[in-house]
Amino acid sequence: MTEPLLEVSDLKIHFFTDEGVVKAVEGVDLVIERGKTLCLVGESGCGKSVASRAFMQIIRKPGKIVSGQMLFRRKSDDGTEEIIDLAKMDPKGYPIRQIRGKEISMIFQEPMTSLSLMHTVGHQITEMIRLHTDTTPTEAKVSAIKMLQRVGIPRPERLIDEYPFRLSGGMRQRVMIAMAMSCNPTMLIADEPTTALDVTTQAQILDLMLELQHDYGMALLFITHDLGVVAEIADDVAVMYLGRIVERGDADTVFNEPKHPYTQALLRSIPKIAMQRDELEPIKGMVPSPFRRPTGCQFHPRCAQRFNLCNQVEPANTHLNENHSVRCLLYEDAEARTSNAEAAAHG
Amino acid sequence: MWQYIARRFTYMVFTVWIISLITFAVIQLPPGDYVTTIVSQMINSGMEDLPPDFEQQIREQYGLDQPMVVQYYKWLRNIIVDGKFGYSFVYRKDAKDIILERLPVSFAISGFSVLFIWAVALPIGIYSAVKQYSLADYLVTFIGFIGLAVPSFLFALVLMFFSYKYMDRAMIGLFSREYETAPWSLNKFLDLVKHLGIPVIIIGTAGTAGLIRTMRANLLDELNKPYVDTARSKGLSERALLWKYPVRHALNPFISTVGWILPSLIAGELIVSVVLNLPTSGPVIYNSLLTQDMYVAAGAILILSSMTVIGTFISDLLLAWLDPRVRLH
Ligand SMILES: Nc1ncnc2c1ncn2[C@@H]1O[C@H](COP(=O)(O)OP(=O)(O)OP(=O)(O)O)[C@@H](O)[C@H]1O
Ligand SMILES: [Mg+2]
Repeated sequence: MTEPLLEVSDLKIHFFTDEGVVKAVEGVDLVIERGKTLCLVGESGCGKSVASRAFMQIIRKPGKIVSGQMLFRRKSDDGTEEIIDLAKMDPKGYPIRQIRGKEISMIFQEPMTSLSLMHTVGHQITEMIRLHTDTTPTEAKVSAIKMLQRVGIPRPERLIDEYPFRLSGGMRQRVMIAMAMSCNPTMLIADEPTTALDVTTQAQILDLMLELQHDYGMALLFITHDLGVVAEIADDVAVMYLGRIVERGDADTVFNEPKHPYTQALLRSIPKIAMQRDELEPIKGMVPSPFRRPTGCQFHPRCAQRFNLCNQVEPANTHLNENHSVRCLLYEDAEARTSNAEAAAHG
Repeated sequence: MWQYIARRFTYMVFTVWIISLITFAVIQLPPGDYVTTIVSQMINSGMEDLPPDFEQQIREQYGLDQPMVVQYYKWLRNIIVDGKFGYSFVYRKDAKDIILERLPVSFAISGFSVLFIWAVALPIGIYSAVKQYSLADYLVTFIGFIGLAVPSFLFALVLMFFSYKYMDRAMIGLFSREYETAPWSLNKFLDLVKHLGIPVIIIGTAGTAGLIRTMRANLLDELNKPYVDTARSKGLSERALLWKYPVRHALNPFISTVGWILPSLIAGELIVSVVLNLPTSGPVIYNSLLTQDMYVAAGAILILSSMTVIGTFISDLLLAWLDPRVRLH
C-alpha cells in the first residue's frame, strides 16, 4: 500500500546570474512515498542538490523556483491530513519554517563545514529541538543525548559539550544525522551524505541511515552517484539528466529493465553492476553547459540510439506502467511522436 | 587557554621593550640635543659671550654626556622602578606631569573613536552584506571610498569651517570657554562629549570605512557557507540565524582588525589635535620633538605605543573568548 507524501510536478528552478539564466532544474516530476526510500541519481551538476533544496525552500541566491508544484501531505495531530504546496511558500516566512526541521530535514554533502565550528554540538542540536517542541533546556539536552547515542556516538554526554572541529568527518556526519532526526521528521533528505567520507565510514553511515529509517519510518530521499548504494537501499529510483527526470520507477524495474538510453549507459558504466569487466563503458561525451542546452531531447548528442526526430522533439513523459515512466522518443507511440513533432514545427 | 594568554602576554611585554628601544633611539637621531637648542636660542637672543664650558656643564647636569646605553638604562630603570619619566627641559618639571596632563584626553578620544567605529561599522557592514548589490550597498561603498580617501586633517578643516559657519561657534578645543577652568561636573562632562564629537568623527571615519569593508567582505564569505544552510534548514528565522551564525563567524577578523586600527587612530589623533588645537598629547609630542625635549617626547611616545600594544592584547583576549578554536588549541 503506497501513500504519496510529496508530489512534485513540473518543478523549474532558474539561477539568474550576470552571465545569463542557468536553468538548473527544468521540469522535475517526482513522487516520494511515505516511509519509502527514493534514490535520486545522475551525473554531477544535473541539478540533484538544487531540486532537493527546493523542497525546503532553501535555494541559494540567485536561484528561484519559477514554476511547478510541490504538494506535501502533512498530518496534523488530530489525524486529519492537509495538502500544502511548498512551491507557493515564502522562503523567509513562518509557515515554511514550521516545515523545515520538523517535517522535512536535511543532511548535507559536506560534514566538515555543515556544522558551525563556533558552537557546541549540544547547542546546535538542542536549538532545533527547542525550536519545534515545547521543552525546557534540560529536557532538550536529554533528548539530544539520546539521539546522539542512537546514531552510535560513544559517550554522548561528553560529546555534547564538544566543538565540531574536534570531531572526525564520520563523527560530524553522525552528529548531523542526529540533528536531522531529532524532531522525528516525516521526510529526510540526504544529499550525498557519504561522499566526503572514507569507504568504511561510508558503509557505517549507510547502515545507520537504513536502521533509522526502519525504526522511525520516515521517507528518505537519498541523493547519490553511487549506483551500488542505490541497489542496496532504494525502493524507487529517479534518474536525472540536465535538470529533468528522464526515468523513474521502482528499483527492481529500473535495474532490470532500464528503458532510457541514459539509464542503460549509467548502468553499464558501473563496475558492480556490469556483469563483466569488458562490458564496462563510460558514457561518451560531456555534460552540456547549462547555458547551451541541446534542442529536442537533452541527451541526444550523447545517445547511441538517437534517430532523426531526437534533435527536434522534446520527449514527453511516457508511462510504461503504473510504476515506471520514461522520457524518451523511443517509447512514445507513433501518433504521439508525430503530434509532438508537429507541435515543435509550429512552435 | 592560559597558555594562549601567557604567550600573548609575553609577546606584549617583549614588544613594549622593543618599542622602548626604538623610541629612545629615534629621539636621539636628530643632530644635536636639547643643549644645542638652548645654546642656539641664547645666541639668537643676543647672548654672544657664553662661557666656553657652558655646554659641557649643562650636559653633565642632565647626564647627557654619558654613553647612550647608560642613558637608556637609567631612563628605563626610572620608569619601571620609580614610575619616573625624566625631566622636561622646556617646562622645567617632571616629564610625567606633562604627559599625564595630556594623555587621558588622548585615550578618551581614541577610546571613543574605537567605540564609534564599531558602533557604525558593524551594523552598516552587516546591512550592506545582507543587501548585497542593493542601492544602499552601493551608497555605503561609495561613501566608504570617500571616507578612506580624504585625509583626516582636510576633513577636520572642513568640519571646523561648517561648525563655525552654521553652528555659530568654532568647534575648537575640548571645552566651551565657561567650562575651561570650572571644576568637573556633569555639565562639564557633557560639554566635553559635545566637543569630542567632531574629533571622534574625523579620526574614526577612515577606520570606519575600512572596517565596513572588512565586515562586508567577511560576512559575504560566511553567508554562503554550508553551516548557514544547516541553520536555515532547522527552521530558524533569517534574522535569528544571521546574528547567531554568520555574523558570529565574521566577527573574528573584525576584532583582530581593531589591533591594527589602534596605531592609525593614535596617529590620526595626533594630527587632528594639532589642527583642532585640542589639549591632547599630540601637540605636546610635536613641540617636544621640535625643541628636542627628549624625555617628554620619549615618554609620551612610549606610553602611546604601549597602549596600542595593550589594545592588541585585549583584542587577542576577546578573540579567545569569542572563538573556541583559539581558546582550545
Ligand atoms: N549559485 C548558483 N549560481 C548559478 N548556478 C548554480 C548555482 N548553484 C547551482 N547552479 C547550477 O545548478 C546546476 C545543478 O547544480 P547541483 O548542485 O544541483 O548539481 P548536483 O546534481 O547536486 O551535482 P553534484 O553531484 O556535483 O552535487 C549546476 O549546473 C550549476 O551550474
Ligand atoms: Mg549536489
